Amino acid sequence: MVESQTSSHVGMTDKMKATDLNIYYGSFHAIRNAQLSIPERRVMALIGPSGCGKSTFLRSLNRMHDLTPGARVEGSVTLDGNDIYGEGVDPVTVRHRIGMVFQRPNPFPKSIYENVIYGPKIHGEKNAKKLAEIAEKSLRQAALWDEVKDRLTRSALDLSGGQQQRLCIARVLAVEPEVILMDEPASALDPIATSKIEDLIGVLKKDYTVCIVTHSMQQAARISDFTTFFLLGELIEVGTTSEIFTHPKDKRTEDYITGRYG
Amino acid sequence: MASVVAAAPVEQRGNLRGDRARSRRIVDKIATGALWSAAAFVVLLLAFFIVYLFVRGASVISWHFLTGFPSSSDAGGGIGPEIFNSFYILILTLIFTVPVALCAGMYLQEYAGPGRFRNFVQFSAESLATIPSIVMGLFGLLIFVQAFHWHYTALGGALTLTLLNLPAMMRVTQEALAAVPTTYREASVGLGATRWQSLVRVILPSAIGQLTTGVVLISGRIFGETAALIYTAGASVSFGKSAYDFNPFHTAETLAVHLYQTHREALVPDADAIGSGSALVLLVMVLIFNITARVVGRRLTIRFTGKA
Repeated sequence: MVESQTSSHVGMTDKMKATDLNIYYGSFHAIRNAQLSIPERRVMALIGPSGCGKSTFLRSLNRMHDLTPGARVEGSVTLDGNDIYGEGVDPVTVRHRIGMVFQRPNPFPKSIYENVIYGPKIHGEKNAKKLAEIAEKSLRQAALWDEVKDRLTRSALDLSGGQQQRLCIARVLAVEPEVILMDEPASALDPIATSKIEDLIGVLKKDYTVCIVTHSMQQAARISDFTTFFLLGELIEVGTTSEIFTHPKDKRTEDYITGRYG
Repeated sequence: MASVVAAAPVEQRGNLRGDRARSRRIVDKIATGALWSAAAFVVLLLAFFIVYLFVRGASVISWHFLTGFPSSSDAGGGIGPEIFNSFYILILTLIFTVPVALCAGMYLQEYAGPGRFRNFVQFSAESLATIPSIVMGLFGLLIFVQAFHWHYTALGGALTLTLLNLPAMMRVTQEALAAVPTTYREASVGLGATRWQSLVRVILPSAIGQLTTGVVLISGRIFGETAALIYTAGASVSFGKSAYDFNPFHTAETLAVHLYQTHREALVPDADAIGSGSALVLLVMVLIFNITARVVGRRLTIRFTGKA
């Protein structure tokens, strides 16, 4: 069984917590009985080979599986102690507080500006001046402002892949979530764009709780405070990133980080 | 890989002229030729058809022919009311078809999960789509003409065409929505948008080009429809003061029906000429619809999504 990694780190609160989490696609059991605490204002990396369920786990943290026909989530996931799968919980509100950045940059086919203010607008912000402020602030936070400030009305699809991904991060920041989930956000990007995203994550953890899926162990080692290892739908081990990479407790974790699984 | 397979000696591998691949190359050339010929045949057929109609019909076209009333027994009748009726019935049909089909398609694609209800609606729509238009015309005759006592009316014709085209328009809607990348939906929902907000603000604008193309193509079909209209909108026009009769409860022969009618039972001596002229006008209209579909669809896509 997995020990709670946070008990040993005094002064940290759990922002999110998954308990007895099981996820099924039809009859396929994709996540088996996972327990995980995600500490506030830290970066938690989820690693493991392809198909191990790390993305499936991540998507359960803001109820994205609601969109997948046939997907079923059992157990509980809490945000500040409140079950996001509880009765009477509005998934739209959950996703407002827990934002998500996807593997492939997916800006809307709209202008750069329209992309950033999409979230605030759907949540009811109508004041043009306020929206402009939010746009600038979010784009600055995402380290994209200087590159796009002169062409905010141009299509977001004209940006490079790396810029598009930072725009997607800005778009999430604009709705001021508390947690940001990232599903391999740099896997479709070149090394320079990747390092910009990684730097950005380092800045973001001052204000946000970040949970990131990555297939790159180097990336996990560079950016995360905690690392969770998944294998075949099972959560094998959680620990501080340095523990996991230097003294893994489980043989399977050790095999993976030393490159013995694909 | 412990063992390394030795490469064949140079003399066995032959030269670069590829003598040993000759038969494969010949088959490849024959296949290319056959496919090209089939495509060329289709283009030639279409070209011949258009040229033929132009040669036969062009001399008939005149201002009087395009705007005047048809004649029942003398030569020199026009097709003014028929052209108007074709557009009038088209617009009435679109007013009924598009909103219903759009909503049904959006519901099926975006709201109804896979399951019995969706399968049932889909099956019904597909069955409806396979009904021959003459059968739909006879149904219209029973309902609108006889049961409702409307007699032959533009409205009855338009409602019959609505029944005929609802499934196709619903299908077009579903396909246009299905073509919108899932990543847009995920991004929108991930930012805390409701399904409706995602649909209105992201998905529909992305699908607008394809939807418009679908509407215009279906318009072309409605414009050329004959069998469903003969017994619903009628095969004669109302002779009022103007060739343009907006009363939906008046009989309204369309251009396509007129074309059919002049060849079948016209008493006028110039029936052939009128037929050729009508056919040309009909063809040009349908071509305009198809070209408009492409141009407008592309423009709207660029306008709403900024991508070509």
